[in-house]
This record gives sequence, structure tokens and C-alpha cells, in this order.
Amino acid sequence: MDVNLLYTIYNGETFGIMIATYFYLTGLSAGSFILSTLAYGFGIERYKPLGKIGVILATLLLVIAPLFLLLHVGKPFRSWELFVYLNPTSPITWGSYLLTLYPINCIIYGFFMFRGNLKLTKIFGFIGIPLAISVHGYTGFILSFGKARILWNSPIMPLLFLVSAMVSGIALMILVCVIKDKYFSKEKEIKKALVFDLAGILGWVIVFDLFLVICDVSVLFVSHREAFAVGNLLLTGAFSFWFVGVETLLGKIIPLVIIFYPRTRTVTALIFACILVVVGIYAMRCNVVIGGEFLPLL
Amino acid sequence: MKKENHSSVRYGMVIDLRRCIGCHSCSVACKNENEVPLGVWRSWVKQIERGTYPQVRKFFLPLLCNNCERPICTTVCPVIATYKREDGIVHIDPHRCIGCRYCMAACPYGVRYINPIKNIAQKCEFCLHLVEKGIQPSCVAACPNSARVFGNLKDPYSEVSKLLALNPFQVVKPEMNTEPRVFYIGGLDITSIETVGEGMK
Repeated sequence: MDVNLLYTIYNGETFGIMIATYFYLTGLSAGSFILSTLAYGFGIERYKPLGKIGVILATLLLVIAPLFLLLHVGKPFRSWELFVYLNPTSPITWGSYLLTLYPINCIIYGFFMFRGNLKLTKIFGFIGIPLAISVHGYTGFILSFGKARILWNSPIMPLLFLVSAMVSGIALMILVCVIKDKYFSKEKEIKKALVFDLAGILGWVIVFDLFLVICDVSVLFVSHREAFAVGNLLLTGAFSFWFVGVETLLGKIIPLVIIFYPRTRTVTALIFACILVVVGIYAMRCNVVIGGEFLPLL
Repeated sequence: MKKENHSSVRYGMVIDLRRCIGCHSCSVACKNENEVPLGVWRSWVKQIERGTYPQVRKFFLPLLCNNCERPICTTVCPVIATYKREDGIVHIDPHRCIGCRYCMAACPYGVRYINPIKNIAQKCEFCLHLVEKGIQPSCVAACPNSARVFGNLKDPYSEVSKLLALNPFQVVKPEMNTEPRVFYIGGLDITSIETVGEGMK
């Protein structure tokens, strides 16, 4: 029997490219911060060059990120209300405090790092790690609590967001390190050992990220009706180019091949891989946020 | 955490789908009463057709905010701008809403919209300003076939309570566990109407 839709209403997009960009920037920030603490928190000497770059990146990105939130909300001048009227069940309420505490901690951590006070740097580094994890993990909760959309309403979302944050953070860190060593250091020479070392970590984090994405998407196909529709949207529908092509193939598979295949493991190829990863994770944020709310509800 | 609700009033609506003729009077009355701007709707009638020519029939599903018993919008609102009143109506404080759209993202019914003029979230509130004065919501008053009935669900002698006691009823998306307080009597299985058009935007 034929069934056709004659008339219904669509009340407009909810989140969108602004929120996707915001998630992307907090992810980059959290990833860079955690890399920065490898040297100054956990004391791994060979990552020492990452410390200062990491904390500057983390702070800068986290200062830019909330601007996208202000552009997104309808009443930006009412945002003070977020700190006064608290709803303990809302992830955005948690986030408004995390987004304040985390950059402050970043600045203090960076201040002591540049002053050379290693003991205090370590303390604030360790305070910063849970903050960095929460500041990005809570964005996953924002989507998880979006009950209406099956792609968002999944317990894997916070973890998926954290792991993709690490992926994009490491890739950005490699890029910034390379640019800094090539153009802004005294030797004008790329530290190859460090790049290869980081690329190795990047590879394994991408593998974990890919595993989580496969978990998330494969279950959609054996779940209920809406889940199936979203799964089809991602794999064969309107978002297949962005999901299969850009996010998975360009953003994950090709970088993995470049990193793990010995003949392509050169500095130039790794830089290329990192650019692909950074673009791929942005596509991932857009796919999750915009793809998640693409199908009409009623 | 939740306060015990001792209120003797719980507003709800019953829509008799057998009486709905798809005239959109409710949508127009709602727009008029609540000054809903162009392009967004608090209440509308979804229309589908079933069957192959010449055996075709139209079906209608009037949609509006369900003013749920367990609303997700109040759970996620970061500034408690939207909250459930004692009488069960889920209200948005227009002076507090920051327009973050989280409630819109979380609502499984897509009934919330951003007012393009005021930049805050709005939705059907059972015409709160009228109900407080003892007048029926405008869509109920406008319905030419009395398909919509509004009243106190806690009063066993109200018309809504009688209709719900005597008829089998359905709600939209019961699997969402929001406990909607807009009930539908008669007509097609709602799921079969609600799923039509999936994959279109």
C-alpha cells in the first residue's frame, strides 16, 4: 500500500555548524593539554618540547571555543544566567563552570611552566587532566542527553568524543611542532624522532577511535526503526560522502596506512596524514551534530 | 529532589482523530492567539495519504506540545527557564531563556522553535494565559468538530477524564518515556502516521 506524506512542519535546525565547531575546538584543546602534561605532569623527558606548545594551544583554543557558543545562543547577553540559575541535571550547567575553570587552570599551569617552577607546574598539570577530560567529556553528554536523536542518545558518545579529541589533538600538535621547528626555531630543522614517536601514538588512538565508530554505527543497523534510518543516512544517504568518504576514509584509513606502512612513513607523508586527520575529525563533529538531527522527528 | 505535587489540577488534552477533518483551524487559531511568527508553528496537522488510486484516504494527526509528565526539556534546560508548573503545563520563562536550543534538540516531538524575533525558545503551553482565566485554549475553541477536548485529568468528572476512561487511547512516541498528556482517540495507529516522511527534510 502506498503511503505518502502530504504536509508536516519542520521547526528548524537546533544545533548546527556552530556547535560542531565548538565541540571541535574544545576537543583540540583537551587533546593538546593532555599531551602537554605528558612531559610536565608525568615527567616523560622526550615529550618536553610539547609542553609549552601544548599549553598555549589549549588555552588559545579554549578562549576561542566559547565565542562560537555566544554566536549560537539567541540571547548572548543573558549568558550570566548560566552561573546563577543552576540545573544540576543539565550538561550545559556543568559545562559553564568547566569552561571557566579549565582555561584559568591552563593559564596558571602555563604561567608556572614558563617561570620554570616545575613542582607547581606538575600540580596544576594533574589538576588540569580531569578538567580537560571533563571539559570535552561533557560535550559528549550534551549530545547523549539529547534524547530525541538516536545517534546522539548513546552512552558511547562521551567516550567517542574523548578519543576523537585525542586524535585531533595529537595531529594538531604534530603540525604545530613541525611548523615551529621548521620556521621559528634556531636550528630550522624538524625533530624527526619526536614526529615519528607522536605519529605512532596517533596511529593507535585512531585505531581505537575507528573501533568506537564501528561499535556505534554497526549497532544502529540492528536497533529500532529510527536507528536504522540514521545508519542508512550515514552509510548510503545524504551524509555518506562526509561520513564514509571524508571522516572514515580520508580522516582515518588513509592516515593509518601512511603511519603504519613503512614505505610511506616519511615526515612529509606524516604531515599530510595529520592534515587529513584534523580535517577528518572536523567532518566527524559535523556528521554527528548535523547528521544526528537531519531526519525529521514527526 | 522532586517536590510532592499536591495540586488537584493536571491539564491535558484529548484529540479525537475520528472527528478531525484536517481543516487547520487549530493551527491558524494558535498562530493568531499566540502571535507565532512566520515559518514556525506551535500546533500543526500532519497529513498523510494511504492507498493506491482510486482507493485512497487521507489521515490527519494534529500535533502540539505534549506537556509531558516527565519532560526531557526541563531536565536539560541549563537555566531552568523551562519548568513544569503545579498544574502540569510545561512553561518557558521568556525572561530567562537564553536561546541555547538544547530543549529543541532534546524534545522527541520537535514542537519547540526559536522565535525569530525574540530569539528565545517557545512552544505550545495550552494557551496558559487563557487557561488561567478559565477560558479554553484557542485551538480547542476553534475546532469546528470539537475534535479537541481540554480539561483537568485529575477530576474524574471532567470531559477529558470521561473520554479517557471510556475509549482506548494512544500517545505519540510512548517509547520515549516522557508520559505525554495529549491523548489521541480513534484513527490510525499513530506510529504508522508519525513514521511517514522519514528521510525527508
